[in-house]
Amino acid sequence: MATYDVELVDIVKEFDSGLRAVDKVSVQVADGEFFALLGPSGCGKTTTLRLIAGFEQPSAGRVLIRGIAMEGIPAYHRPVNTVFQDYALFPHLTVEQNIMFGLEMEGVNKKEARARAAESLEMVRLPGVGERKPRQLSGGQQQRVALARALVKKPAVLLLDEPLGALDLKLRKNMQYELKALQRDVGITFIYVTHDQEEAITMADRIAVMNEGKMLQIGSPRQIYERPESVFVADFIGETNFIAGELLERGPDGFGRVKLADGTVIRAQLSEALSRSSGQVRLAIRPERIGIATIAETGGEEIDPSEYTVLDALLIDSQYIGTDTRYTLQIGEATELVVRVQNISELDSSGIALGQAVTVYWHNSSATVLDI
Amino acid sequence: MSDRLRRLQQNGSLLALPTVAWLVIFFVLPLLIVLVVSFMTRGRGGVGQLPFTPEHYERTFGVFFIILQRSIGLAALTTVVCLLVGYPLAFFIATRRRLVQQIALFLVILPFWTNFLIRTYAWRILLGEEGTINGILTGLGLVGEPLSLLNTQFAVLLGLVYGFLSFMVLPIFASVERFNFRYVDAAHDLGANDVRTFLRVVLPLTLPGVLAGCALVFIPSVGAFVTPDLLGGTKGLMIGNLINKQFGGSGNMPLGSALSIVMMALVMISLLVYVFANRRDARA
Repeated sequence: MATYDVELVDIVKEFDSGLRAVDKVSVQVADGEFFALLGPSGCGKTTTLRLIAGFEQPSAGRVLIRGIAMEGIPAYHRPVNTVFQDYALFPHLTVEQNIMFGLEMEGVNKKEARARAAESLEMVRLPGVGERKPRQLSGGQQQRVALARALVKKPAVLLLDEPLGALDLKLRKNMQYELKALQRDVGITFIYVTHDQEEAITMADRIAVMNEGKMLQIGSPRQIYERPESVFVADFIGETNFIAGELLERGPDGFGRVKLADGTVIRAQLSEALSRSSGQVRLAIRPERIGIATIAETGGEEIDPSEYTVLDALLIDSQYIGTDTRYTLQIGEATELVVRVQNISELDSSGIALGQAVTVYWHNSSATVLDI
Repeated sequence: MSDRLRRLQQNGSLLALPTVAWLVIFFVLPLLIVLVVSFMTRGRGGVGQLPFTPEHYERTFGVFFIILQRSIGLAALTTVVCLLVGYPLAFFIATRRRLVQQIALFLVILPFWTNFLIRTYAWRILLGEEGTINGILTGLGLVGEPLSLLNTQFAVLLGLVYGFLSFMVLPIFASVERFNFRYVDAAHDLGANDVRTFLRVVLPLTLPGVLAGCALVFIPSVGAFVTPDLLGGTKGLMIGNLINKQFGGSGNMPLGSALSIVMMALVMISLLVYVFANRRDARA
């Protein structure tokens, strides 16, 4: 059996208040992986992280780190280190003392600890601030110190609890890039908690989407975005159009026939997690996967009707948002559809008038059939 | 600095005038009088008269030095015991939920509702040879003879700890309550066990409360005279009792003044230590 850096087996965490923060979570994180725990606040992602760190004990289930069961092993004996959301740098110690703290606890001699502290400050590109107190640094610098303090211990796994949450947008973008590069350099497994789906998608090798204590889906950013297995995941990650429909038939080729509210029957990709074989379902389609054409145009374009879904629609709103134009359309009686079209040239955004009848089309594989 | 701020500051010093006047008339001037009297010769009725002499200081550091020592020793011991009892108690209270906290703090403050003298008298009843504690101990057959608890330094220590424990608990409580327990997680995360986490993180970060509590216990303990008078007898005599006596009928006011000045100097020194330690901590 392959050993993973971190393995959770049927972990349950119930607090004294009766709240079930983590509900039967099982996951394996491989060596060197950048793994994101993504979900809204209160979904149990931070509790999951604290269970791995050893700050909380699971009510049931097992935590294994590098194949070793962590039951009864206190936080200070686990080969993991944490970057806290508020950094938790010791305010009474200098930056250098903060970084050396963990090495001292290991019994590393002062001289070596000094050298390693300086090294790790350089690694986070913050040399020469060792003598300062944490509060004399900016938020971004404190974040780097927290990272250096954790990485200097050379942990098997680095746990990061929304480390960029307190930074402003621009700094956050830079840090995302840097963190990813750093992780590649040091080769340490990162488990990264965030509620920011964009952060997870851009940085992680794999993402676990959590809600109400459960892991709803685990997969690569591409799988999570392209093939959401539930309405929650589709809704939480990016923008999604949902269309109600009735599943008529599950095809053997992974496609099914769905009847829309106005009676139109279309073909769409079945989610792998789809449990039902008929009845009410929801179609999920990303706004950027939908094309718009005026009636006149469609005639000219080559759209294979067996591969594409083509519907009549009415343009009810359009919003210019710089890179894209965001159209709101109506299909059928009462279904709204958002479509994003990239503004490739300046002319693109002004082509269609409000109230105009148009045609929308998407590739059948762009629409995913989900359980309600 | 803006004009407005400057004007505000000027008006601000005006607002402090009544307090300054009060302090000058009722504190600074009397203190100067005490200082002058402490160098005078004892006259009839114990009052001071010329010529000036340093003899009272010589006696303070001579025959009375042992009492001075005992006072400082007892006050220091009181501070240590209060700290050892008060820190865990304050920590316990600060980490409870709100309601329990409020009840516990109320209980800490509750004794103040009764006069200090009465509470100290109560200890005489508890500690006396025929007292409650001896009654229980002999009744259970744990001791044959009643223990002499009263009129000992132990009794004074007990009384002082009892009297001043709250002054230790409250500032430490305030410090621990402000303490961010995320630092404990961080210390554990970096490999520190509970003991090292306490010594390296929790204690340094709650030190301001500890220092304030120590100052608040030590200073009144040094000069205490009700407690040693009622519980210490002759064995527990402290500098406060000595000073008290000098201002009675057959007293010696210059000597009392000299003792007071020395005691104040001691308190000042301990306060300076506190301020210095705190400032270093603030810079840290």
